[in-house]
Amino acid sequence: MDEKTLKRIIEDVMKEMAVVGAPAPTGKPAGRTDNATTSLVISECGPAERGTNPREVVIGLAAAFGGRQTQTIIGLPHDQVLREICAGIEEEGLNYRFIRSFRTADVGFIAHEAAKLSGSGIGIGIQSRGTTVIHQKDLPPLSNLELFSQSPLIDLETFRAIGKNAAKYAKGESPSPVPVRNDQMARPKYQAIAALLHIKETQLLDPNKKTQELRVEYR
Amino acid sequence: MALIAGIDIGNATTEVALAELSAGATPVFVASSIVATTGIKGTAQNTQGVFQALTVALEAAGRSLAEIDLIRINEAAPVIGDVAMETISETIITESTMIGHNPTTPGGLGIGVGTTIEIGNLGRAVAGTPYIVVVDRSYTFDDVASRINAVNGAIDVTGAILQRDDGVLIHNRLARKIPIVDEVSLIEKVPIGMLAAIEVAEVGRIIETLANPYGIATLFDLTPDETASVVPMARSLVGNRSAVVIKTPKGDVTERRIPAGWLQFIGDRTAEVDVDRGAEEIMRVAGNVGPIRNVRGEPGTNVGGMMEKVRVVMGRLTDRDPAGIEVTDLLAVDTQVPQKVTGGLAGEFSLEAAVGIAAMVKADRLQMQRLAHDMTVQFGIPVEVGGVEADMAVRGALTTPGSSIPIAILDMGAGSTDACVLRGDGVAHSIHLAGAGNMVTLLIQSELGLESSEDAENVKRYPLARVETLFNIRHEDGTVEFFDNPLPPHVFARTVVLHPEGMIPLPLRQPLEVIRQVRIRAKQRVFVTNALRALCAVSPTSNVRDIAHVVLVGGSALDFEIPQLVTKALGEYRVVAGRANIRGTEGPRNAVATGLVLAWEEQR
Repeated sequence: MDEKTLKRIIEDVMKEMAVVGAPAPTGKPAGRTDNATTSLVISECGPAERGTNPREVVIGLAAAFGGRQTQTIIGLPHDQVLREICAGIEEEGLNYRFIRSFRTADVGFIAHEAAKLSGSGIGIGIQSRGTTVIHQKDLPPLSNLELFSQSPLIDLETFRAIGKNAAKYAKGESPSPVPVRNDQMARPKYQAIAALLHIKETQLLDPNKKTQELRVEYR
Repeated sequence: MALIAGIDIGNATTEVALAELSAGATPVFVASSIVATTGIKGTAQNTQGVFQALTVALEAAGRSLAEIDLIRINEAAPVIGDVAMETISETIITESTMIGHNPTTPGGLGIGVGTTIEIGNLGRAVAGTPYIVVVDRSYTFDDVASRINAVNGAIDVTGAILQRDDGVLIHNRLARKIPIVDEVSLIEKVPIGMLAAIEVAEVGRIIETLANPYGIATLFDLTPDETASVVPMARSLVGNRSAVVIKTPKGDVTERRIPAGWLQFIGDRTAEVDVDRGAEEIMRVAGNVGPIRNVRGEPGTNVGGMMEKVRVVMGRLTDRDPAGIEVTDLLAVDTQVPQKVTGGLAGEFSLEAAVGIAAMVKADRLQMQRLAHDMTVQFGIPVEVGGVEADMAVRGALTTPGSSIPIAILDMGAGSTDACVLRGDGVAHSIHLAGAGNMVTLLIQSELGLESSEDAENVKRYPLARVETLFNIRHEDGTVEFFDNPLPPHVFARTVVLHPEGMIPLPLRQPLEVIRQVRIRAKQRVFVTNALRALCAVSPTSNVRDIAHVVLVGGSALDFEIPQLVTKALGEYRVVAGRANIRGTEGPRNAVATGLVLAWEEQR
């Protein structure tokens, strides 16, 4: 990652900010995207309710996921990310539901919100850049069952395993934690981009908007 | 008045009893202490532990080292133990004839029989023939499902074998449901164009047809001779939820005994026994030779190497020629070790027979004298070697309220199990046997397949529980305990050991009940076996029944269930057995140290 790339990203972001102006997505579907690389269509369908089905895992998306942003920090398309997480849950015989949180971009709180709304008490929180947390409703928000903090190291296989493990927790099984790779170069290499992507995410926040139930379609 | 310290250097702990003795009065014990033994028992490294233990006791009594008049240590640490494990059977699958692993989430239900075919070649399949598709990881679940759905009605697909963990996903997308076995890691080795059968049972059930030789015979239309040859295959699939059997010309599953070498016991008579005959046979032969003077292993074999290692280690520690070291007792225990199956396609494990062996070496009597001499120089206090360890333990044990002569003690330590009988006429008879706490740890570790001996030690020492929610756990006896604050997330939904410093999650998939059974059985096989062996040997009539009272001492007597297991087993022989309470305060610890002080009093 050299100076040129960094500059280009900053320019991209600036351009986008200029187009959007003051972010006020309230009321209109936050998930609309014009980007052709993804077939993911996410639409809001009212405030999210607390689930009663003990067979469900709730997946909480950060504000820009599958909307303003369409891929993770290493370029994995968001539709594939969701497909893999869902496949992991489905393989274990459980259901899933999506919500989007607008009050925070902190992945721990998003995951905790998802867990609190989940019938099984297990939720997954995921940021646009790929950072993911598996959470349980009785834990403090800043704690977690499993944390995948280095977004550049999470590939599709890991996303599948995350879905699988979340489902296993929901079933009361004791899965071995998903192996997490560690790369001390990931931080210096991606920190600037990660910060920018986070800023983009926080721009879409709206403290007065309730957590929304989502409909996710792959087209 | 004199200040005397009795010090017992054991395999695991060094214990001190500090007492004030004045002529004509009963000794007044002022303090006792216990620390971990440094180095192997009976070697120069012990001095550090002794010093530490002394310091702790002196601090508690408010005395200084200079005030001590005499230190007495236990005589000639007679036993040093070592443990090892030898696998004596292995399972081999030839020609990739079966897949008997247990993926947690197979797809579909029932039985499918057909010819194996790669999914890419499904287009060339012949209508009317049943097929089982073989899918490697390059195909996504959507793709596989649509390919199978595409030929639905034209070609008869009766089952699927997958490399990825996609069984349920594909099943959910199929128009016509078939049984699916997934997570077959070496899928490229599955023979193509062969007749195969697949079976998936309901959740919580096990397969019935492929685990039955006649079931396989029915599916593959086998002759009586061929049916006889599939028995090992059927047997190795018992207990699985899903399985694949492939009919290949020479395919077979064999269980082979690994020659592990013979052991030679030298006593009044000499006898040899093959290790692969199992523990029962080894112990029977060992019991027939009279008092064992030495044990040798067949040179050039595994067991020979193990016995050699024991000798070399002991030789180095005691500065003696390894050839002169004599193994004076040996305990063999049958066990089962999970081993990877040779030739398996999905990383199958099978429980193989193994023999665990604890050996014991008689150390040099001069060793303790040397140690005493070293300590005299270092501390500037006279250090003398007291009487035989077991005799000292009896004296200490007699301070237990309610005990009296004649008495038998059972000293269950970490490295050895010792027994001593003190008869009414004052004659004592004692014996040291191999196998104690360390052996239990080894058995637990190997049977559960634990990587660290620390985990095995924890399983041995503390009760188990299952964390059901973040606010409650279910103990191994079924009772539920609630907590006001949420438990730490790393124990969530796990089986834990209840360590006094907090719960420790175990890296195991076995149900809690299985882990508990392994633990109890390991303790029984070592301690109950050894208790009976030891008491038989010291009983005046060689019969356990003729010992009326048995007092349990030593570190393993502190265990939460070993004393109960031994008490229960001895109860069958009408022997009253119970945990000692040395000086009415120390519990089963400090017996030898206390005995050392008391023996000096009697000598004067």
